[in-house]
Amino acid sequence: MLLLCFAVSATALAQGRRGLRINEVMVQNDSNYVDDYGLKHGWIELYNSTYNYMEISTVYLTNDRSNPKKYPVPRGDVRTDIPARQHVVFFADNEPNKGTFHISFSLVPGVDNWIGLYDTDGITLLDEVVVPASLQPNQTYALKQDGISSPDGTFDPQYWEVRDGSNEKYITPSSNNVIIDTNENIDKFRQHDSSGIVMTIVAMLIVFSALILLSLCFYVFGYLNARSARIKKAVAQHGEEVDIEVAARTSHDSGEEIAAISMALYEHLNTHDLEETILTINKVKRSYSPWSSKIYTLRETPHRR
Amino acid sequence: MELDLAQFLTSNFQQFWEFTGFHNVTYEHLIMICVGLFFIYLAIKKDFEPMLLVPIGFGILVGNIPFQMGNEIGIYEEGSVLNILYNGVRAGWYPPLIFLGIGAMTDFSALLANPKLMLVGAAAQFGIFGAYMVALWLGFMPDQAAAIAIIGGADGPTAIFLSSKLAPNLMGAIAVSAYSYMALVPVIQPPIMRLFTTKKERLIRMKPARAVSQNEKILFPIFGLLLTCFFVPSGLPLLGMLFFGNLLRESGVTTRLAKTASNALTDIVTMLLGLTVGASTQASEFLTKETILIFALGFMAFVIASASGVLFVKIFNLFLGKDKKINPLIGNAGVSAVPMSARISNNMGLKYDPSNYLLMHAMGPNVAGVIGSAVAAGVLLGFLG
Repeated sequence: MLLLCFAVSATALAQGRRGLRINEVMVQNDSNYVDDYGLKHGWIELYNSTYNYMEISTVYLTNDRSNPKKYPVPRGDVRTDIPARQHVVFFADNEPNKGTFHISFSLVPGVDNWIGLYDTDGITLLDEVVVPASLQPNQTYALKQDGISSPDGTFDPQYWEVRDGSNEKYITPSSNNVIIDTNENIDKFRQHDSSGIVMTIVAMLIVFSALILLSLCFYVFGYLNARSARIKKAVAQHGEEVDIEVAARTSHDSGEEIAAISMALYEHLNTHDLEETILTINKVKRSYSPWSSKIYTLRETPHRR
Repeated sequence: MELDLAQFLTSNFQQFWEFTGFHNVTYEHLIMICVGLFFIYLAIKKDFEPMLLVPIGFGILVGNIPFQMGNEIGIYEEGSVLNILYNGVRAGWYPPLIFLGIGAMTDFSALLANPKLMLVGAAAQFGIFGAYMVALWLGFMPDQAAAIAIIGGADGPTAIFLSSKLAPNLMGAIAVSAYSYMALVPVIQPPIMRLFTTKKERLIRMKPARAVSQNEKILFPIFGLLLTCFFVPSGLPLLGMLFFGNLLRESGVTTRLAKTASNALTDIVTMLLGLTVGASTQASEFLTKETILIFALGFMAFVIASASGVLFVKIFNLFLGKDKKINPLIGNAGVSAVPMSARISNNMGLKYDPSNYLLMHAMGPNVAGVIGSAVAAGVLLGFLG
């Protein structure tokens, strides 16, 4: 049982970490995002695509398939607990002693750069990307939609695009690749249903459908229950299986009869022929103190009648 | 030296004076304090929903004591005690807890005995969408309009839940409006019921409800959850807790849990919810043109909801056999103000026929209204969230 629990929790953790995505990568940084030392390096942006905080310490970043544990994200830094749908940026400067977000390898311009993200076991690949050699300085290779790539974490170029910093292809270290400045749902309703009629019709249909379905369901349950009760009653009355239609027709229990039976049962079940005969007396000793006396401290709660 | 001491005392007094409520008070604060006192008066003297109006009324007083900002006192100041308690409203976790209690204290037998009454609960939700259309017409954004319109569901926790997600800035006004109208159900609904029914219709006697087995009662929360939440997953926090609470009650093996959920837990959350909702009506945030519009729209939503429940029953009766007619006086109970609106149906029925008890029949649409308004909230959240 313990093993099962352990296996289930481990799987759940892995599933949670699967929401961690490599979101945007810059290989050669000449005039872009600077680190906390005022220096420019290539960088890798990770994105928590889940709707909950994700602690990413002890996951591994690497650029070497044969060494998946190349850079373990250190423990003990509160900044590695990424809020829901948020990002962190790691600088690929090969100077891990500079702090949590400086990793132990750098990216090489002009060649394909494979970057892997491994779970804490160093075996489970969470996500990977191959940044093309054709990427120019100050360009990034980014997911078209934040956090949306192939579900199993393997690299699929159709989800990625090159961004050159233009108005259409903006570069967004530590923020969303797609900047959302409106609520699409609300805009849609404002545009297509300014009077609210469509919403009213659709919503009322949904409310009615849900309750009609529920009511049908309980009509069926009610019918089945009544049928089962009739069968039980018929069996009890006749001592054997009988046709329930006949049993239903021969049923003559009036309200008075039911009331009389109920009263008899009540009387029967609530008689007190046998009483507990054990008498227990516990001596309760309390040392008196005016500080704990209820006379001085408590009054009955007022109650309006 | 003496002069210095006098100056010191004067400046201290000046500083203290500036800190007091007397110095910081504005006429808006006084208006809100009067509103709070009025709520407390209604609750204690008129017995209008005292469990809700006492905490809310007192909360309004708490929220409108004038003070200098920056001392972690006010409800909108990060880290203050009130702010911490207010998180339950802002993040929307008080309403599902209240729904847990509602589920644990609600007997759905009346609904199960006559499942067609669920449709009355559905029809009354038209109040929400009628108000939604009017709010859009008045220039509210769709998300704001939806948050305001949910007042028509007559369900305080649902209104708070939805407004905390769609229009947090309007939540105080929406919550106070929803609870105020729930308390005023005995005043608002009877004229509408009289207006839309004839004397003959008010005298309709409904067949006694059949007995409902324990199995049906146990199956209801399970199937209720599965069916409604597969339709509207966004209603899961409310519906999930409602049906969970009901399963605790009906399963027969979790009596202790059901008791806690329906008594202690509900009481605690109701106090915190009422107090913090009241305190959130800080004059500077509350006394705006939008608040007046929200109150007007809320009233309208209530009227439409009550009327549509009654009218739906009348239309429904056209398709029912002579001995299966429904008394339209239970139509108003489709709004989910449990059990006030069902009680009103009963009282109205007794007024016209002293032996015609409608309470158990009205409880059907009433509890269906709770489910219906939670489903409607889920739909709105799904579309606009």
